[in-house]
Amino acid sequence: MSALPPSVLRLIETFSELPGIGPKTASRLTFFLLRGESDLALRLAQALQNLKTQTRLCSICYNITEQDPCLICSDPQRDRTTICVVEEPLDVVAIERTEHYRGLYHVLHGALAPMEGVFAEHLRIAELLRRVESGEVREVILATNPTSEGDYTAAYLLAKLRPLSVRVTRLGRGLPVGGDLEYADQITLTNALEGRREL
Amino acid sequence: MRIRSLSLENFRNYIRLEMEWPEQPVLLVGGNAQGKTSLLEAIYYLATGRSPLTGMDRQLINWTAEQEGLSYARLRTEVVGRHQVREIEMVLSVSPNANGIPRLQKSIRVDRRPQRLRDLTGCLNVVLFLPQDVELVAGPPAGRRDYLDATLSQVDRTYAAALETYGETLRERNALLRHLAEEGGDPAQLDPLDERLARSGVVVAQGRHRLVGELSRHAGPFHAELTGGQEWLRLEYHPNFDPASPPALTYQRPLLVEPGGLPPGVSLEDLERAFLQRLRQRRREEIERGMTLTGPHRDEVRFRVGDVDLGLFGSRGQQRTAVLALKMAQLAWMQEIAGEDPILLLDEVLAELDEARRAALLSLVDRVEQAILTATDPEMFSLAFRQRAALFRVEGGIIRPCERAV
Repeated sequence: MSALPPSVLRLIETFSELPGIGPKTASRLTFFLLRGESDLALRLAQALQNLKTQTRLCSICYNITEQDPCLICSDPQRDRTTICVVEEPLDVVAIERTEHYRGLYHVLHGALAPMEGVFAEHLRIAELLRRVESGEVREVILATNPTSEGDYTAAYLLAKLRPLSVRVTRLGRGLPVGGDLEYADQITLTNALEGRREL
Repeated sequence: MRIRSLSLENFRNYIRLEMEWPEQPVLLVGGNAQGKTSLLEAIYYLATGRSPLTGMDRQLINWTAEQEGLSYARLRTEVVGRHQVREIEMVLSVSPNANGIPRLQKSIRVDRRPQRLRDLTGCLNVVLFLPQDVELVAGPPAGRRDYLDATLSQVDRTYAAALETYGETLRERNALLRHLAEEGGDPAQLDPLDERLARSGVVVAQGRHRLVGELSRHAGPFHAELTGGQEWLRLEYHPNFDPASPPALTYQRPLLVEPGGLPPGVSLEDLERAFLQRLRQRRREEIERGMTLTGPHRDEVRFRVGDVDLGLFGSRGQQRTAVLALKMAQLAWMQEIAGEDPILLLDEVLAELDEARRAALLSLVDRVEQAILTATDPEMFSLAFRQRAALFRVEGGIIRPCERAV
């Protein structure tokens, strides 16, 4: 029999289901909430509830949103002829931070990874193709990660998009700003050389 | 090249080892299961990133240490090459992944900078000879492929990279084929993987073709010497994917082209296209069976003397002699291509050889900068050899220098 009441135990157990949180951290978090001002626990509870009840996927770009279509898809200032395809919602955040992109997005929710059981039908690929087929779009930017899976996904998408007479581009890849040429790995350096530009 | 120091932590039965290596040949003496072979294994592991004895790297971590919650092994060595001294360090550790399943992680550092497996190429070259290597001739083909891969990856960085890509792509592709067979889906998902498989596959096949040619060229004369001019060993490469038709693309063209060179008028791109075409032809069959049926992962190598296939019809003695000639050939080839001596690692191999072959094997010791040998019975070696070698006694994972020749 445990010395702790069930409501405390339940939270500890629930916390430990999260990635990267073991039983010790789970207990610490639980007791922090228990001892702290009641406001914090209630705000957390509300935030957690909203996370699942208030959010959904945008029916156009499949980004996470509270309103459908999402803020980006419903913004009349955005360039509707360009779609930037990314793996995850956080990638949208990263590109938005640049303040250099004015087009729309499409979130795949993953990349092709047969070893992990992720295949084309598990990603929002059919939805992307339908968007492109329906008109307007003139350029698709493939912004999947520069990993083996990301490249695989981009190559697959390219083959699917090519017959749709749309311009397809891939994010440039090369040297990090502030980096040192001497320390760049071979592949990055080779890519940077191949993707060099006339000045 | 030679190693100047070696330190091991929780590797096999070595809880902790710090060793400085002398310049003369080293003879490690000790009973069975005391750690002689493990020491050679450690050096081989630092050179190639894989163990010659097990495919399960986790077994390399000391069992007692793991029971006590120290789930890691560390290996480090300083290699003195002709132009520089390099430090190679490898750490194996077991830690749970995001789903809580324990996973083995391997990190490699060269001169304290993190590197990938392929970057080990050229850092430390070794020729290892184990008693069970006789299985190379008669055992399953996977052993021969692994041998070629480990040998080439030590000196050819392009090969090491292509082999890594090929292996990864093959696993991805087989998973996809299985999925298509069982649940269906868009077969066009195969296209990018087919291209990657073909691009890396032809580099692998060409590399092996070249290596088998070179080893055969060197092994022939050695083998003739070992057999008193009676027999001449030949190695034959049988690629699983051989664009044999049209005949201009045949791999087996002895003497006409330089070993491993492409036939006139044929480029790597031609081979790649032919490979891709074959994959397209067999796609339906591959989906039905849920696996990749074409490619270097099904290559074969045969050892022949005249018309006799030693793997099938050779006596145990003939097979042993063939492996000896093969290792001598590997050493000569590595010297030639790397411009530097590999380190010779001989594990208990004298026991099974007759006087003449022992002498031939020991003559290799004089051809390299560093040789490390093991024996349960040092009497196997001539007194002259024992006197010029540095003797160490290995007992329960502890190594002590012997005062006098035993």
